[in-house]
Amino acid sequence: MQLYDPTVAGPERNFVRAAALDSLEGKTIGVLENGKLNAADMLHEIAALFEQRNGCTIAPIFSKNNASAPAPGETLQAVAREVDFLITGLGD
Amino acid sequence: MSLNAARTHEVEDDLLAAIDYCYEQGWTDGLPVVPPDVKRVEEMLLYEGRPAETVLASHPATGLECTVHAAAVNAVMAGCKPEFFPVVVAAFEAMNEPGFNFHGSTASTGGSAPLLVVSGPMIDDIGMNADVNLFGPGNRANATIGRAVRLILLNVFRMTPGLSDKSTQGNPGKYSFCIAERARDNPWPLLVEDQDYPEGVSSVTVFAGGGFCNVENHGGNTPEQVLGSIADAMANYGSITLGQSVVVLSPEHMRVVASTGWSKRQVQEYLFSHACRTVEGMRSVGKFRQRDYDKQHGDGGTSPLVETGKMHRGLSPDDILVIMGGGDAGGHSCFIPSWSRERLSIMQSKPIGVCIDCD
Repeated sequence: MQLYDPTVAGPERNFVRAAALDSLEGKTIGVLENGKLNAADMLHEIAALFEQRNGCTIAPIFSKNNASAPAPGETLQAVAREVDFLITGLGD
Repeated sequence: MSLNAARTHEVEDDLLAAIDYCYEQGWTDGLPVVPPDVKRVEEMLLYEGRPAETVLASHPATGLECTVHAAAVNAVMAGCKPEFFPVVVAAFEAMNEPGFNFHGSTASTGGSAPLLVVSGPMIDDIGMNADVNLFGPGNRANATIGRAVRLILLNVFRMTPGLSDKSTQGNPGKYSFCIAERARDNPWPLLVEDQDYPEGVSSVTVFAGGGFCNVENHGGNTPEQVLGSIADAMANYGSITLGQSVVVLSPEHMRVVASTGWSKRQVQEYLFSHACRTVEGMRSVGKFRQRDYDKQHGDGGTSPLVETGKMHRGLSPDDILVIMGGGDAGGHSCFIPSWSRERLSIMQSKPIGVCIDCD
């Protein structure tokens, strides 16, 4: 008996990790919040720790319009232009 | 992708062994599947006019694509007859609309399942059930069309429980959640007529639905009494949000409502007006969000029926899909809440088996 495979092959993508920062000192930190309850507050608290401990500058917050969809490519590109590193996470 | 390019597996010519093989490959929803024999898949494909490599849906994060061929393989596995296949195809085309957000609604802790509501003459053509035990077992078309959608999510889009499907508690509808709108003795225009598809066309509407909530009312003899109990279910603290709703009126409840001449629109407006909670009440359970209140009440409100100091379910009467379905006997209607507090999935519809205004 010959069966078709019900799965599909994924697209070929060349994802690579960004190079690690040598140091966090004085870097600009971005915050990407997903719009859920407490997300912005929680992430700002975390960003403030980087500010205190590493002298980071906190960039204006970036938001997703849809908590359950991937961040739009233009949002990620804008973030990448303005910050050295980014924190994100779920609210609730 | 030509059919020759599709991956195949040679298994021994033993049906039970083939079923076990499908389990071993991780291709099932936990229940046995029909092994996707090449000939059966090719018979399924005869019911779709487009090439097998036509992409029906794409996953926004992974880039995985569901082709007509992949859908057919999974439809065979679900137990679909070939004549059911156009419904599966149309359902996934509807789910592929960005507003539906099938990735989010499948992956979310919320545990929703895509509810398919089929409306129009195709229901009788393929033998769907719009009557007794509407949401229950017993009808091959209802059961297998819904199941095919789940198998596509599992096998094609890899929405694997525990990995990319993070539902906290899940939902029985994740096995299959497909119903037909009852036309017999229905005093209202059918859903497909409201959707303005050409005469004779059938449609499938997809809705990221939470759990099924039975609304029992055998004592109500007026539209207000029957609808009051449904509105109360819609406004329960556990599910009230700005999201959309599906309400399936039982024929018995429909007789009470329509015997006094109430239109579908009047029912939607009544339900929207009464499916609400006070701000204080929402605060008492920790679910009041000023942002949601402002969205519903700002700039004069999203509907003239929005009442100051109250949170309504949804943004307007248009957010409540009301149809009739089920058996003649019993004061049992149901309400199905949408997934998501934030209107992250909006119901979509597509015509079945036809292309309207296509290139």
